Amino acid sequence: MTFRFEEILAGQKLTSFGPSNFLKYAIRGAVSAGVPTNTVVLLLLLPEVAAIIAAFRHLVGLRGFGIFLPAALSLVFVETGPVVGIGMFLIIVSVSTFVRIVLRRFKIKLQYLPRMALLLLFVVLGVLLVLFAAPVLRRPDITNVSIFPILILVLLAEDFSRVQLGKSAKTAVNLTTETLILALASFIFLTSFEVQKFALLNPEVLLLAVLLFDFFLGKYVGLRLMEFWRFRRLITG
Amino acid sequence: MPMKFSHILGLNARTQLFSYRYNPPVARSTASSKLKTKRVLKRAGIPVPEVYKVFKSVKDIINFDYMSLPSSFALKPNKGLGGEGIVVVKKRVPSDGRAAWITTQKKKITADDLKLHTLDILEGAYSLGNVPDRAFIEEFVGRHKAFRKYAFRGTPDIRVIVFNKVPLMAMLRLPTRQSAGRANLHQGAIAVGIDIATGITTKAYWRGKYIHRKPGSKRKLHGIKVPDWTAVLETAVRCQEVTAIGYLGADIVLHPEKGPMVLELNYQPGLSIQLANAAGLRKRLERVEDLKVRDASHGVKIAKALFMASFADRVKAEEGIKTVKVFETIVVKRADGKKVKIPAKIDTGAWRTSVGEEVARELGLLREENILWKKSVRSAMGSETRPVINLTFWLAGRKIKTPAFVAKRATLKFPIIIGRKNLKGILVDPALSPEEKKEAISEAK
Repeated sequence: MTFRFEEILAGQKLTSFGPSNFLKYAIRGAVSAGVPTNTVVLLLLLPEVAAIIAAFRHLVGLRGFGIFLPAALSLVFVETGPVVGIGMFLIIVSVSTFVRIVLRRFKIKLQYLPRMALLLLFVVLGVLLVLFAAPVLRRPDITNVSIFPILILVLLAEDFSRVQLGKSAKTAVNLTTETLILALASFIFLTSFEVQKFALLNPEVLLLAVLLFDFFLGKYVGLRLMEFWRFRRLITG
Repeated sequence: MPMKFSHILGLNARTQLFSYRYNPPVARSTASSKLKTKRVLKRAGIPVPEVYKVFKSVKDIINFDYMSLPSSFALKPNKGLGGEGIVVVKKRVPSDGRAAWITTQKKKITADDLKLHTLDILEGAYSLGNVPDRAFIEEFVGRHKAFRKYAFRGTPDIRVIVFNKVPLMAMLRLPTRQSAGRANLHQGAIAVGIDIATGITTKAYWRGKYIHRKPGSKRKLHGIKVPDWTAVLETAVRCQEVTAIGYLGADIVLHPEKGPMVLELNYQPGLSIQLANAAGLRKRLERVEDLKVRDASHGVKIAKALFMASFADRVKAEEGIKTVKVFETIVVKRADGKKVKIPAKIDTGAWRTSVGEEVARELGLLREENILWKKSVRSAMGSETRPVINLTFWLAGRKIKTPAFVAKRATLKFPIIIGRKNLKGILVDPALSPEEKKEAISEAK
């Protein structure tokens, strides 16, 4: 992958240094100094992912857990691959739900933070169990999982159970599903080769376009796609 | 008038155009703390349920004797969202010699349960962003007898949206078995639209569809008359006056003895009220945005004139179609309540009903408290503002209450012209009697 990126960079002829290509020069400088191209591409694409998640909320109506979690989750998917990422995510969510139900069933009443700590303990046990099962499952992508994706997933579990503790289980499941959809959409965007290529070759245009998009998105006051559906009975009677 | 999507208020518009623009930070902080809301309202003399105890720290909980409470009360988080974290107990029962209570959900809880729940609240389990919170114990407000047959266990409340001192829309929220006695829509309570003019319920919306009867029973949900309706609306507007929450959703309960009481105020009220009323909020917001409203009673008067539900027309249609002539003598209610006969012309070319200025003054209808708002009109004389007043009259055996435009029409023979707006369910017979014809011709000359 990285090799291809460097080929792409080499294939682009640059005109003299100016406001329309200062980033291109900077990228080449950084890459030749040893910064991984992959990191540069992912960083360049992060504002777009944030804009996509914002657009999903304000134009479509999907909320998810804010903007950070879906974005972080999509990066996790890039790291681990979507199958393992979603698998891990579901394991973590089901473990935390299960612990909650058990605590309630046996009427174990703990204060909020100790209860959260206990929850995290079981989540970590769940993740460890999956890692221990790696020799049996024989999936190379499990054995290659590093600590950072797991850490992000565990943090997500905390958000999930926070919503679950405060609100209804239905809201928590809805928000989790929406987060997954957002993360998957962002993942597909992040890993699309055409998008990566465009970001690498036209970083100035891309960032300026996102800036304008964010601005106009923030000024949009019309109905969201899901609101057209929600209020359809008002129009059809 | 058919609804358009542009009449509907969505989340984007609510936040950007109204909630953020009209609710300054101080107003938002008042609304997001139930205790602060109570303090502000109480100082202004607006009735709120009484607070028995506030818990600020763990020490408060340890030192508190739950036995000292009355047998019914509500334990609430100060910054709880959407009715989460609220425990309502209805009576005390003995349990192994210790104190226990029965909640509205018919569950038995002990003092230890209450203590733990209070601790959870202080830890921020129910607050936005899980920041540490306060808990308080409040007077239990029971069901008003008007709602006893409609609500399941809990106490129903009335949500009123207020903007620019005008109550725009209202709904009754009825707890159900599915909402476990709570009056929050996303927990499964029924949203029942209320006609602003009369306080009578119109439509009921529950779990994504319109229903006619209370689930599992044959009780109709439309046609319920909310008691003390004008007082409910005026209380909601008064809340806006004293809190500076410019775009407000007031939650009001009817205390069985003490009348309307304010439970809490919202600066980002939910949008489902539009479904319950089958009406768009955005159009109503824009309608009243520029009006100059003097006080609560003026605002309520404007609302009643503007937002009368269309079911009033349906009632008329059921009575059958009446026929009137072009020239009719109608009965008009004066400011002092007496009725007088006045000749009127039925004009299907006009939309709004209008009254000559002279006659309006004679009837006492031009007094300040009867003027709804001023409307600017362009005429041959240039632009000027003319008052719009409340007018009540009888035509074809029907009582019609409507906003009427006050025109300079001293020279005309007919001081009142009745427009299309008030002619629903009425046919106009254009034939004239010979004398009327003669008069019409001479008038034209």
